Amino acid sequence: MFLPPLRLVCVSLLSVALTVSATPRLPSTDAQILERLPIRATDPVARELRSLRAELTASPKNHVLADKLARRYFDLAMAEGDPRYIGYAEAALRPWDSGSIPPTLRVIRALLSQYKHNFDGALKDLAIALEADPDSVEAHAWRAAIFMVQANYAEATTECTALAPNASELFATGCVAYVEATTGKLQNAYVRLASALKRHPDATPNSKLWNLTRLADMARRLGDPKTAEKHFRAALGLGITDNFLLAAFGDFLIEQKRPAEAAALLKDWARSDTLLLRLALAERTLALPTAGARIQALEVRFAEAALRGEQLHLQEEARFRLYLKADPRGALRLAIQNWKSQREPRDAAILLEAALAARDRAAGQPVLDWLMQSGYEDPALRSIANALRAAAG
Amino acid sequence: MKRVLTLALALVLVCAARSALAHKPSDSYLAITVGDARFSGQWDIALRDLDYALGLDSDGDGKITWGELRAKHAEIASYASGRLKVSADGRRCTLAPTAHLVDDHSDGAYEVLQFSIECGRQKPVREVEVDYTLFFDLDPSHRGMLRIQHPGGTRTAILSPDRPKQSFALAEPSRLAQFIDYGREGIWHILIGFDHILFLISLLLPAVFFLAHGRSSRQWEPALRFAPVFWDVLKIVTAFTLAHSVTLSLAALSVISLPTRLVESTIAFSVMLAALNNLWPVVVGRRWAVAFGFGLVHGFGFASVLADLGLPRDALVLSLVGFNVGVEIGQLAIVAAFLPIAYALRRSALYRRMIFTGGSALIALIAAIWMAERVFVLKLMPI
Repeated sequence: MFLPPLRLVCVSLLSVALTVSATPRLPSTDAQILERLPIRATDPVARELRSLRAELTASPKNHVLADKLARRYFDLAMAEGDPRYIGYAEAALRPWDSGSIPPTLRVIRALLSQYKHNFDGALKDLAIALEADPDSVEAHAWRAAIFMVQANYAEATTECTALAPNASELFATGCVAYVEATTGKLQNAYVRLASALKRHPDATPNSKLWNLTRLADMARRLGDPKTAEKHFRAALGLGITDNFLLAAFGDFLIEQKRPAEAAALLKDWARSDTLLLRLALAERTLALPTAGARIQALEVRFAEAALRGEQLHLQEEARFRLYLKADPRGALRLAIQNWKSQREPRDAAILLEAALAARDRAAGQPVLDWLMQSGYEDPALRSIANALRAAAG
Repeated sequence: MKRVLTLALALVLVCAARSALAHKPSDSYLAITVGDARFSGQWDIALRDLDYALGLDSDGDGKITWGELRAKHAEIASYASGRLKVSADGRRCTLAPTAHLVDDHSDGAYEVLQFSIECGRQKPVREVEVDYTLFFDLDPSHRGMLRIQHPGGTRTAILSPDRPKQSFALAEPSRLAQFIDYGREGIWHILIGFDHILFLISLLLPAVFFLAHGRSSRQWEPALRFAPVFWDVLKIVTAFTLAHSVTLSLAALSVISLPTRLVESTIAFSVMLAALNNLWPVVVGRRWAVAFGFGLVHGFGFASVLADLGLPRDALVLSLVGFNVGVEIGQLAIVAAFLPIAYALRRSALYRRMIFTGGSALIALIAAIWMAERVFVLKLMPI
C-alpha cells in the first residue's frame, strides 16, 4: 500500500479536528487532556523561539532580532500552513509604524502582507527594500512571485532578469522557467529547469523541493503523468513538510482518477483547510463514510473565516461549493471575487469550471481572455474552456 | 507561486510534536447579553492562545489538561478582564467571573469564561461601548468576534488592533420583548426564592387532607374526592397571588416602602408558622386567609428583587406586570408539579409521615434558622 514518507515520520495526527462547537462543558477529571500543543515547551524549536522572544522583549527596537524572530515564525507558518505564526511574526514588527520601519525589515513585512493577500502593500515594501539594497535576490524573487499571482508576466520577467546576476544559476533558471511555463513556452521551460536541477545535485533540499514541485506540474501539463509522479515522489522523498506540495500532489492524484491514493496521502492533514478540501473531494469520490464529517468541518471553517471578515481561501471555498455542495452559482460568485486579486492557473481553472457548471459564459470570459493572452498550456484547462465556449454558443 | 521563494529559507520541523488541530488564525468569541434586567458575558478564548500568553502547560508535556487549566483560572480571569472594558451609556461596568467551562471550536479547545457585568442601575441601556485589547500585543492578527444580544436584537462586530474600541447604539427593545424579559425574571425569582416556595408548599401540604375530629384528638385524614382539594388549593394560591401582587405593585411604584429587615424576618416567620400549623393545626379551613395575610409581606420581598433589577422608566407598568405574570407562572408550575403527586400519595405512609409530617418539621426548622439569621445579622448591623 502507498505510504508517503511524511506519514512514516508524522504519525498519530488527527481526526478530532472535525469537532463542531457544542455547549460548554465542565470536564470531570483533572487528568483529562483538553488540548495538544503544536510544539512542546521543551522542544528545541520552542526553546529557541522563546529565548528570541525574551531577547526582543528586552530590546524591542532591535531590528536584527525582530527580523530573525519574524522570519522564524514565517517559516513555521509556511511549513505548517498555520496562520497563528503569521500573527506572532507581525507582533515582532509592532514597534515600527508604517513609515518608520527600516528597509531591512520591509522584506519580512512584505512576506507577511502577501500572505494576507495585501499584494500592493507587499510590492511597495519590497520596492523600498530594493532601493536600500538593489542586489537583494530575495526581494526581487518575491516581487516576481507576486507579479505571477497578479498575472503580470512582463514585470515578473523584469524581476527575474534583475536577480540573475546575484543568484545561483538554478535559482535564476527557476524564476525564468516559471514565467515561461505560464506564457506559452512550457516545453522549453521544462527542459531548461530539469537540466539545471540535474547540474546542481548539491542544491539545498528546499530548493530541490520547489523545483521538483514545479517540474511535476509542468510534466503533467505536457501530458506525461508518469514523469510528473516521479517528480512529486522525489519531492516527497526529501522529507520536508510542505503544504503546497501535498496540495499539488493531491490534486494530481484526484485528476488522475486515483482518489484512494489521494485520500491515503492526505488523511492525516485535515487540520489544513487547503488539504482538507482535497481529502474531502477524494473521500467523497470513494463514497467513504468519513466524507460527510469532512464536508461539515470545511463548512464550519469557511463560516469561521467569514466571521473574521477574511477570505484567504476563496479558491478553495469556490471548489468546495462547486464539487461538495453542488452550488455552481455560489461557487461562481466566489471564483469571480477570487479572480480579482489572484490570477494563477488554479484560480483560472475554478472560475472556468464554475462558469461552465452555472452556464454563464460571460462570467468566464476574463479567464478565456487570459488563456488567449498568456498562451498558458494545459490540455485539461483548454478543454474546459472549449466546453464553455461551446456551451454558451 | 505565492510561496515560491521560501526555498531560501531553512525549515526546522518536529513532526512528533505536531498538533492535531485545524489551522486558523487566532479568534476569541465574546458574547455580551444586555437584558433590561441584567448584563452577562461569555468569552471563549483558545487554550492555545492562553498558553502562548500565560503558559498553561505546567509540566511541559505538550498537552493541556483540565487540572493544568484549572490551576490557572484566576490568572486567566484577571488577564482577560484586564483587557476588556465595557461601558453602558458612558459608565464603566465592572466584570466579575462567574464560571470557567470548556468548549471546542474547529481549531481546538477553548476556555469558556462566563462573567457578570455590573453597570449600575440606570436602565434601559441605549449605548454599549466595548474596548478590547486581548492578545493584540502578542498576535496582531488576533480578532475578537463580538456579539451583543439585547432585547431589541443582536449586534455583531470584529474587534481588531485597528478598531479595538467600538460602540453600539442599541435599538429600542420592543414592548413585547421587554414584557417577556421581565416575565422570565419573575419565573426565575420565584423558582430560586426558597422562602416563597416553602411558604406555598407548607400551605399546600395539608390540602390533600381534611381534619377529622376523633374521640381524643383531631387528626389529618386523606381527602375523599379531588374537587374539594382543588378548590382549597385554588383559594390559597389566588389569595397568595392577589396579596403579593398588591404589595409588589405598591412597593415597586414607591407608594409604600417597608424596611427590608422587617420584611425578610416576617417572611421567615410566616414560613415557620405555616409549617407549624400543619403539625399542630390552629387554622384549618381558612388557610387562604393566612396565605393572603402573609402574601402581603411576600409581595414586599419580590419588590426588593425587582428593585435590584431596576425598572425601565418608560415601561414601568408593563415591566411590573410582566414580572408579576412571571411570578405567577412559576408559582403555578410548582403547584402543578406538587398537587397531582400529593393527591396520588395522600394515603401512603410515605406522604403522611415522611413528606407531610417530616417535611413540615424540616421546613419549620429551616425557617427558624432563617429567622435567627436575619435577626442576628440585623442586630449586628443596624441600618
